[in-house]
Amino acid sequence: MLSLLCLMLFVPRVFSSSTPVAVIFPQDPALRMGSSLTATCTVSPERGLHANTMYWTMNGKRLPSSTYDLLSPNCLSVTLHHLNGSQQQSGDNLVCHSGDGHVLAGSCLYVGMPPEKPVNLTCWSRNTKDLSCKWTPGGRGETFIKTKYTLKYKLRWYGRERECEDYSTGQRYTCYIPRDLALFTPYEIWVEASNQLGTATSDVITLDILDVVTTDPPDNVHVSRVGELEDQLTVHWGIPPALKDFLFQAKYQIRYRLEDSTEWKVVDNVGNQTSCRLAGLRAGTVYFVQVRCNPVGIYGSRKAGIWSDWSHPSAASTPHSERLQSGSCEPKPGEQNSTLRRELKQFFGWVRKHAYGCSGMSIKLYDQWRVWLQKSHKTRNQIL
Amino acid sequence: MSGHVKNMCPQLTISQAARTLLSLLLVAAIDSVSAAVVCRKQPCGSSLQRSLKLTKLIHKESVDLLKTYKVSQGDMSELFCQMSINNVPDPNISGLDPSERMLSIYSHCKAFLPHLKRVTEQQTDLQPPSSSLLSKLSTAHNRTNGLANQINCIYQTLFPNLPIPPEPVDGPTSVPPSQNVFQQKVYGCVVLKRFKEFLSRVTRELRTLKSQVCTRRTTFADTNALF
Repeated sequence: MLSLLCLMLFVPRVFSSSTPVAVIFPQDPALRMGSSLTATCTVSPERGLHANTMYWTMNGKRLPSSTYDLLSPNCLSVTLHHLNGSQQQSGDNLVCHSGDGHVLAGSCLYVGMPPEKPVNLTCWSRNTKDLSCKWTPGGRGETFIKTKYTLKYKLRWYGRERECEDYSTGQRYTCYIPRDLALFTPYEIWVEASNQLGTATSDVITLDILDVVTTDPPDNVHVSRVGELEDQLTVHWGIPPALKDFLFQAKYQIRYRLEDSTEWKVVDNVGNQTSCRLAGLRAGTVYFVQVRCNPVGIYGSRKAGIWSDWSHPSAASTPHSERLQSGSCEPKPGEQNSTLRRELKQFFGWVRKHAYGCSGMSIKLYDQWRVWLQKSHKTRNQIL
Repeated sequence: MSGHVKNMCPQLTISQAARTLLSLLLVAAIDSVSAAVVCRKQPCGSSLQRSLKLTKLIHKESVDLLKTYKVSQGDMSELFCQMSINNVPDPNISGLDPSERMLSIYSHCKAFLPHLKRVTEQQTDLQPPSSSLLSKLSTAHNRTNGLANQINCIYQTLFPNLPIPPEPVDGPTSVPPSQNVFQQKVYGCVVLKRFKEFLSRVTRELRTLKSQVCTRRTTFADTNALF
């Protein structure tokens, strides 16, 4: 059967008259993972090549001759079992070579699995203006070959089905709908996945844009001391600008941590105030503070929205304790002085560069430097 | 009032028709000119220097482009890139005198463009949308188009009496007909390899041209200035 195939299928497809003339069957097939494939390479009789001198490679790796079968003087087959997922989305390169290594022909194999139902479809709207959605592929096998995901949406009780067009937000499996979204009307949204091996559709989610609103983090977050109280700091922030016009309520959350710690403490019951006092803090310690916002009651909606990102960290230090201060004036021999001196030197260097001199010297400036130092350490660690 | 307007109308009609005709003639004239590149006269040395810098940039990017291409096609030996394919421009610059060689650079740039475009189209189907290969191909196409325009301008400035042949027409013979995926992979590699080699030659050529042509013109201009 395969021999007949070799004879019938030979068609002199050429790159040019000077390029090798051979044909591989099947050409560019799509195959399921774990399946088997028998491919044939048929070379033109005029080439004077005998098939028993030919060999096969897959992604540049020579395939063992035990997998070959000489079907005719000008036709060599290879059988592959238990195919693994393709190494690249452009397809695995199965190539037939003449004995001296020249390429006679090639076929690109697409080995993967049909898509499974996309899962975890979630959407959010930034300030009620747009809609972003993300999902996760239902299976792993579909990631080996090119699988197209189309996000579709329609108004629940009327309206035509529309497709999201912008998949280029930088993150995979996301789509962005920039405009023309109705409020107070539920949308039905789903994702269709398709590749050469099959199709699948996610469950449909229903949402009102107003129920999935998020916003920008609060701006102008300031942290400052409360007089000389050594265990307290006060935090002030502004309402996110985009929601000032139609936000009836917003709830906020604060988190703070010690400068040298990675553990955040969260203050939940901030309500809709734009300031908060943190108490029970350690004296003489730098704290980093962040605030985020959840828009609630947008246009009378009863549901809570989605928390914004955290604001950029702001820092402040609590005053030193009097008792500690009096005890700490005696430096340890050598060590404390050199550490302090080194730190001061770094601080002054930073002030000269970033704060245009020392005229505005204050504890606030020192705290800003500590924030900057923290960020720089993080960046360095990420690079390393 | 209306009689006055009535008296005016025939004259207005005629002059309006004349204006319309003039506008149409102007549009036709502009349309015929717009197909050609509008060049501002620049000093010889600085124009060629700019083109040389652009060529070096495209060449540097073409090295990375070819690497990125090979990685995204999977394991491909150098053999694939050396396969012979019809109609892909060869990288050699031809001609004996500077005008012929400059023309050869220009026509080669133009000749590569539809192939770069074809490779981009093919790879758009083969690669994930986030692939950096696609943006690099697009950049190469745009920059090469820009280089061709620059060379065109320099040529017109240096050799105003020598005609530029009409631009090559994109047709069925300029890019290959539909290919299977393996052929597309090989084709793309051949195009980008030759493209890289071509740019290397253009870099050397522009350096030579700059010293040959601009020096000669400066000498000629200086001599003229004496009289």
